[in-house]
Amino acid sequence: MTPAMTEFVDNLRAAPRRILETAFRGGAPKTDRTRSTFIFGNVFLHLHSVRVHRWTLRWSTTMGLGIASTAAFLITLVTGVLLMFYYKPYPDVAYQSIKDIHFVVPTGRFMRNIHRWAANVMVVCVLLHMARAFYTASYRKPREFNWLVGMGLLSITLGLSFTGYLLPWDQLAYWAITIGANIAQSPREITDALEITEWFDPGGFQRALLLGSEIVGEEALIRFYLLHVMVLPLALVFLMTIHFWRIRKDGGLARPDDADQQLQAPGGDVYPVFTQAPEKTYQLAAIVRGRTPAVGRGPENTVPAMPHLFYAELGVLMFTLLICVALSLVSDAPLKELANPSVPENPAKAPWYFLGLQELVAFSAFTGGIGVPSIVLLGLGLIPYLDRESTGTGRWFGGPGGWPLVRRALLVGFGAALAIEALVIRFGWIREWFPSVGQLVVTAINPGTLLTLIYGAYSVWLVKRYNSARAGALGLFTCFLCGFLVLTIIGTYFRGPNWVFYWSPGQWPKH
Amino acid sequence: MNKNKLLLLGSSLGVLVLFATAAVQENFLRGWRRVQAAGRTDAGAIPVQLRQVVNQSLRTADRCTTCHVTMGPGEEAVTGGPLFKKHPPVTHDPAVYGCTVCHGGQGAATDKEDAHGDVHFWPEPMIPVKMSEAGCGTCHAAPGIPARAELRAAQAVFERLDCRACHRVDGRGGTIRPDGGGMEGPDLTGIAVKGWDAAWHDKHVAKAAQSASGPWKTSFAPVSADDQATVTRFLQTRYGASRLTEAKSTFFSYGCLGCHRVSGVGGDEGPDLTRAGQKDPGQVDFTHVPEGHGLTNWVAEHFRAPGAVVAGSKMPPASAPEADIEQLTLFVLSLRRRELPGAYMPKDRIEVARMGRREFAADGATIYGAFCSGCHGLDGLGRVTGDEVFPSIAHPEFQKLATDKFLTETIAKGRPGRRMPGWNKEGGLRPEEIAAVVAHLRTMAGVPARTQEDTWMAAAEPMTGDPLYAASCAGCHGHKGQGGKGPALANRALLEAASDGFLRDTITKGRPGSVMPAFGEPSTIHRTLTPSDVESIVAYLRSWQGR
Amino acid sequence: MTVIPGNSKSRLDPEPMPRRDWLGLTALWSTASALLFGVLGALRLPKAAVVAAPSKSFKIALPEALPAGEALVPPGRAVAVYRDGEGVYAISTICTHLGCVVKPNAEGFECPCHGSRFDAAGGVIKGPAPRALPWLQVRVSGADVQIDEGKTVPNGTKVKDA
Repeated sequence: MTPAMTEFVDNLRAAPRRILETAFRGGAPKTDRTRSTFIFGNVFLHLHSVRVHRWTLRWSTTMGLGIASTAAFLITLVTGVLLMFYYKPYPDVAYQSIKDIHFVVPTGRFMRNIHRWAANVMVVCVLLHMARAFYTASYRKPREFNWLVGMGLLSITLGLSFTGYLLPWDQLAYWAITIGANIAQSPREITDALEITEWFDPGGFQRALLLGSEIVGEEALIRFYLLHVMVLPLALVFLMTIHFWRIRKDGGLARPDDADQQLQAPGGDVYPVFTQAPEKTYQLAAIVRGRTPAVGRGPENTVPAMPHLFYAELGVLMFTLLICVALSLVSDAPLKELANPSVPENPAKAPWYFLGLQELVAFSAFTGGIGVPSIVLLGLGLIPYLDRESTGTGRWFGGPGGWPLVRRALLVGFGAALAIEALVIRFGWIREWFPSVGQLVVTAINPGTLLTLIYGAYSVWLVKRYNSARAGALGLFTCFLCGFLVLTIIGTYFRGPNWVFYWSPGQWPKH
Repeated sequence: MNKNKLLLLGSSLGVLVLFATAAVQENFLRGWRRVQAAGRTDAGAIPVQLRQVVNQSLRTADRCTTCHVTMGPGEEAVTGGPLFKKHPPVTHDPAVYGCTVCHGGQGAATDKEDAHGDVHFWPEPMIPVKMSEAGCGTCHAAPGIPARAELRAAQAVFERLDCRACHRVDGRGGTIRPDGGGMEGPDLTGIAVKGWDAAWHDKHVAKAAQSASGPWKTSFAPVSADDQATVTRFLQTRYGASRLTEAKSTFFSYGCLGCHRVSGVGGDEGPDLTRAGQKDPGQVDFTHVPEGHGLTNWVAEHFRAPGAVVAGSKMPPASAPEADIEQLTLFVLSLRRRELPGAYMPKDRIEVARMGRREFAADGATIYGAFCSGCHGLDGLGRVTGDEVFPSIAHPEFQKLATDKFLTETIAKGRPGRRMPGWNKEGGLRPEEIAAVVAHLRTMAGVPARTQEDTWMAAAEPMTGDPLYAASCAGCHGHKGQGGKGPALANRALLEAASDGFLRDTITKGRPGSVMPAFGEPSTIHRTLTPSDVESIVAYLRSWQGR
Repeated sequence: MTVIPGNSKSRLDPEPMPRRDWLGLTALWSTASALLFGVLGALRLPKAAVVAAPSKSFKIALPEALPAGEALVPPGRAVAVYRDGEGVYAISTICTHLGCVVKPNAEGFECPCHGSRFDAAGGVIKGPAPRALPWLQVRVSGADVQIDEGKTVPNGTKVKDA
């Protein structure tokens, strides 16, 4: 063999190894340096910082909720793409194609179930993740903006779920979307009462934008489909990227000032720190403004993200998958009969996480569907800019008041919500008492606004009592969480046909 | 880090186990896999796979043959399981038409409960097997079906002539087999669709004359012209679904069309029934149906107690035996009438839907049975339901008084303000049909038609009748003739239809079978009216006609 | 510190920004307005100029025997048509709350979605509906009744029939 031939054969044999080497620049992550290069040499991994603080890796810090949300999103992404092979976004055909997926397509039912459960898991995880970030006061400087990005992610997550709800084109879907689209139109409740709808009709515009027609029809279906498979996922990925990147840029996860003291010495499973000193250049640090992880503080309690964070993230991902798959085996995604535009589903219920709003909508469409949610979103968004304190950052229920305050707020939150609901269920609302009352009065005074008012007043009192915005925020957030839970549970389990209260579905008038 | 590694390990193993479970469920545990695993042909085991019948024109894709394998295309020879039965012989090959077109059910499903539609949220569950002929109504609308008495009479003649000795009809008869082979005469099932030789009798006679022995000699004798016509009438009802035909004839004997429309013909008092068999069980209130869910139970119970099943229903309960209720239910379930692509539209349906052919036979008895008997009774002697009194119209005394013109006009224009609708309307009766009903009324009463027109005219001064009317008539008919216990007399349609003589005779002789007494006869409970009194009252009644 | 010859300023010194950079500001504002205009224009697209929906005006024949106060709901239409001594009228059966189809009953109408109730004239009795059910334009021509779902008339408008 000529040398050239020998070399050719050698190169051929080495090709697989070299492909791997070139894919992961710097080779296998074995030393500190190669671990670092592994992270920032990888377009996906480089959103992580190279080293993470050991506080971050404690299970109680995050409970993995952010990663679980991401994992659920990835699961819906994969199963969603698979479902797109068979789904046809056109009325009637859509329903038939879901039937096909359910009954004929190999593993179709399973994939659809996973998709549906992962979507639900995602909503739950996102909500809990937000609660976690709030209760550990992780939204504080410099992470205020990331809190806003997170709220955007929450909205998009709910939007994804809502748009996906229509696609099967069954009765459930059709009427939930009819109601949803009319909620978008509900500013008319105000404009009609003021008799200015003719000139100024934001409600009508929103509805037209959403449905593309006057009814929920083919136009609406293709729009929801487009939003569901294209616009919202892209927006979500865009915001997620910012969200992750900001975590890194904002100096990792928030942790208490005394985190280093609280942490015990690393166990045997932690790779020794700084076996090889990084080639630090302060020139680089000179142009990077703000707090970076490695400047001014010792890196003693950080560990390489690869493999410590890697195992944590992968573990949570697989755990999420486990939950989704297990639920999918136990319970099938629902599919009711084909949409029938002339007979409403009774009761027509939206996805569970909107049933709290639907409970409010049953008093005033505008207040329940737009007013209260806007107030809540606005309030949430303002929290990091109103709470400029620093005590308790990174600690569960940190800040003045702490857990005892939250406990009392739970009482107030549940108490007020249950009391108002009980009153309404037992005695009805204004219109039953004074039938001729004007619509603006009902829009302004109803259980939704009343509850908001009570919660708001309580939190103002807390601000005064503790002389701390954080205390007010803790109370307010807790109260709203309670209200959300109460309303959602009542909407889900205790509302029957005609949105009448029943103790159990067994008491529903039989059909 | 070990905690996280353990989490990863545990979760991954868990996912692996669950995936394996799902794989086993998907690939081994589905019910249809077990069914098909037993399937054998001469060539050995059949491949285990989803099977279906697709008919793109009908937009069906029925996976029923995944379990009912032998009904699929080219799989007749499969044996090995209780489900592998042949379909009973039908004109429409299930391997072409699919299953759900006739039987209902969820064709896309491959699990038994889902496929048979015994689940929530499926709008079209399977039609019960005992009612499966209702499935024919998806496409067909057999025309010219007589009321039941007429159908039974024709059938009796067919039996009496013993045509079934040689001919098989609807799976019965054709037992004479001289050569031990097949049937002697052709199978007459579905003969109304296929058509027959009009000269059948002459040919039978000729054949019998030629034969020296055998069944032609022993079993055939010439048939009278009347019987020939009756046999023809009977054959015209043989569409191949004898139970449905029987059910339809029952439907035409309860006067349902008087209030309900079917295929655009009938009354408007009740809901249109053209697609009543397609009702979505999910939209039906089962609160007052004792025998559980299912459209069949609902429809049957609805016949027994309409007011209880549908709140506010004005439909009178059908005082019918259970057998009749079952037939009526079968017929209502058959009212499916799906929209079909042109090529699949059967001839009978085109005739009914587009060419104005009637689903009921044209004879007066059938039309009376289909339209009138609901209120006036099958015997024509009227009905009392609740506080409503429907007049006895077949009573000989009334029939003697009424001229054909009066009867025809009453049927055509109805009695505005009363429940009697005018049948000269879109979707009502044609003049010749009204004439047939009038003729039938005459035969029911056994009274010949009153031919000579009444030319008697009341010549009295109208106002002289006012006090007489107030004293004798207003109690029941109202002071202004607006009606009360008795019908409204200030009723233009009535006054136009009735001659003076008819009014006079009705007042004088009363209306037997109703509370209207004979005012011409002496009585202790009302004053007797003299002929001149009566003439005054008639003139007074006439004075309302101008308004 | 590196000093470029002929220039007294260091490269590390910030570039002086004029307090009012007219050219720059104008350029930025025009970019913003161009893009804003484009976005507003693009928003026209999703809002269809005309929707291929079936005509809202339709004709039905009222049965002779329709009792006063009893609703006739033409199939596929969200309208209840009535006739009484004063004439013919049509009430929309789309709930003014969130667009469910209300069901006519003995007292008036009820909505299955959030329990709104309306009286026989469409007025709100109970529940979240903000407005009365609108009455629709009716024209009587002979036996036929022409109803326009797109045009409302003041509640209580009854049209004399033949």
